[in-house]
Order: sequence, then C-alpha cells, then structure tokens
Amino acid sequence: MSTYVYGIVLDSHPARVEELRGVGETPGAVRTVDADGLKAVVGEAPPDLRAKRRDLKAHQDVLEALIEQGPVLPMRFGLVADDERTVAGAVAARRDDYRATLSELDGRLEMNVKVAHQRDAVLGALLRQHEQLADLNERLRGRGGGTRDEQIHFGELVSEALAERQRRDAEALSAILGEHAVRESAGPPVDGCFFNSSFLVERDELDEFTSVVDHLRRTLDPVAEVRLRGPLPPYSFVGGK
Amino acid sequence: MTVATTQSSARQQGGGGAGSGNLYDILDLILDKGLVIDVFVRVSLVGIELLTIDARIVVASVDTYLRFAEACNRLDLQQSSSAKGLPDLVGDMTEKGAKGKSKGALTGAAETFAEQFKKSSGGDEQEKEPAQRPKTRSTRRGGGSSE
Repeated sequence: MSTYVYGIVLDSHPARVEELRGVGETPGAVRTVDADGLKAVVGEAPPDLRAKRRDLKAHQDVLEALIEQGPVLPMRFGLVADDERTVAGAVAARRDDYRATLSELDGRLEMNVKVAHQRDAVLGALLRQHEQLADLNERLRGRGGGTRDEQIHFGELVSEALAERQRRDAEALSAILGEHAVRESAGPPVDGCFFNSSFLVERDELDEFTSVVDHLRRTLDPVAEVRLRGPLPPYSFVGGK
Repeated sequence: MTVATTQSSARQQGGGGAGSGNLYDILDLILDKGLVIDVFVRVSLVGIELLTIDARIVVASVDTYLRFAEACNRLDLQQSSSAKGLPDLVGDMTEKGAKGKSKGALTGAAETFAEQFKKSSGGDEQEKEPAQRPKTRSTRRGGGSSE
C-alpha cells in the first residue's frame, strides 16, 4: 500500500495525530514517520485518490490541526510515495533545508488575499476618470453602439485602461499589506481576481493584518471585492524561490 | 474578470478551519503551492486544473473587448456617479501619481493609496508620518530603496 504525505515537522513538534482522519473514502488514520530529526506526517494512500472536495478538505484539515501545534511544511495536495521508507529517506536527504525553513516559519502563518474588481463599478470609474474613453463611449452610444470594429477598438482601449488600473491597484495593495507581513508571495490571477497574494504573518499580528484587510474591504466596496483566507498552513512559503 | 457575487465572505479566522464552504478560495494554494518532493508521485488532477487556469486568460481577446464595449454602452453614468463619494482608488492614484512623478510610480501609487486609506480610517491625529515605514520586510522588492 503506498503512502500519502501531508507534511513535515520537526521531531520536537507534538504531532498529536491520533484523532485526525485523512484522505480516502473511509478516512484513514494519520501517523508519523521518523526521518533523522524530522517527522513526516503520513497516512495510507487510498487507491481512488483524486482531487475531490472530500480529500482536499481532509488534506487541509490535517495540516490545520498540525499548524496549531507548531510549524509545519505543508505538502502540495496529492503526493504519494511507494512506502514509508521512501518517505523517510527522501525527507532525511533534505533534512537541513527543511529544518531551516521550519525554523523560519515558526510562529508565522499564511494569509491569502484575493481581490476582484466588480465589472460595472470599475468600468464606471474608468469612464469617469478617462475623458477620452467617456467621449468615445458617448459617441458610440449615440450611434447605437457603432460598428463591430469600432466596438472592438473601444473595448480594447477600455481593456488597456483596466489592465493599467489593476497593475497599480495591485502594487498599492502589496505595499499596504506588505507592511504587516514578513514576506509576500504573489500567486497567479485566479477566479477573476487581479490580485491573489499570500502574506506570511506573525501569529501575534494576525488580528492586525485582518483588520487592515477589513478596512481595505470597506474602502474598496463596491468597486472591488476583497476576500481573505487564513490563517493557513504556509503553502506559499515552503518551496518556490 | 468575473462579476463576483459571492457574499463578501471573509472573516473566517481564529483557530482556522477552512469549512468546506471556504475551500474554494484556497484551492489554488492546496493544488499549486506547498512542498513537492520529486521522488513522490502526484495524483492526477485532471479536470480540476481548469479551475485555476481559466481565469488566467482574462483580458486580451476580441470577445472581451466586445463585452467591455457593450457594458460601457449600457452603463448609466448618471446613476453610477452617485458612487462618486466612494473611494475611487485609481482616480486618486493617477492625479497624485502624475504630480509626484519623480518618486516613481510605485511610491506614488502606494502613497496616495495609503493616504486615502488613512483618511478613511479616520486617522485622528493628523498624519503620524508621511510615509509609513515597513516594520519587518524582508528582501522583497526594495520598496524603500528608491526614496
């Protein structure tokens, strides 16, 4: 039976995993594997493992329980090894790197912020701001929308103005939120969000970070929607350069 | 860009707990971030990757242009101008950004936003400091170096 890997902790981490249940149709037990000063948190890999809500949630729940007890390197969802020995060997082989990262992450959590512009509100703002766009819009509207080519041309100008606005909004958001974080890791735009960024935040500054985000949310409403998720295991701060 | 209709969510914190309702917003983290060890095999993600990829296409296509044009044509600016008092983030940023060109776009944008932010937070005692200093900031993006 192959082994599913949830994360890696220091051997000093309490890793109270007896009560936890992991991935699988019949949620499996979670246990630890010693790896030269580290512990890998693992479970049995079910044969039908897929990125389904049930299993994604199990993965996330195990990691949330672990991060409450101490620093953890969260694995990406869905990693499976042949057996526990393979896991122990692979983890031990990178022991120093993992220990260094774990000590850097100690007492810190990930806060993910996603921001999406509300289409009509932001277009309205662009038109008020760019006189040329507003004029062109009026002219086309006066002619029932204009030809298809005119529409495409106009839409492209709007799109450029929007992209520019998004770029600058994102910079401003990074600057403001970055003041309350140790580090930022920008993610790709997902789900219509022009801003998708994770921040590594000290545990005792989580409340402050959250209230800054709340404030941003009120300030930007209704032009943009701000979504905050966290505190989370530090998915975005364990690997990538 | 989607017209997001999700209720202005958030505020799930304290003790964590991505209740299933909150899983969606962190899919990209669970699936695309996190530690990878290359001797391990990864389960197939067929189907689900689309979720995170589709939005990356966003802006540049004829369809999008047409949709923007149409949306603008439909906008009732009279009505939406009632939104004037609302924080018009970029409006502010552009004006001041142009004025303070010498400072560089980022600084200009950040400051104006910061000002607006402070204003709306009802910062009682007049500005504490013109440019708030980052407390702890590691090596990222030497924001301060251009000052």
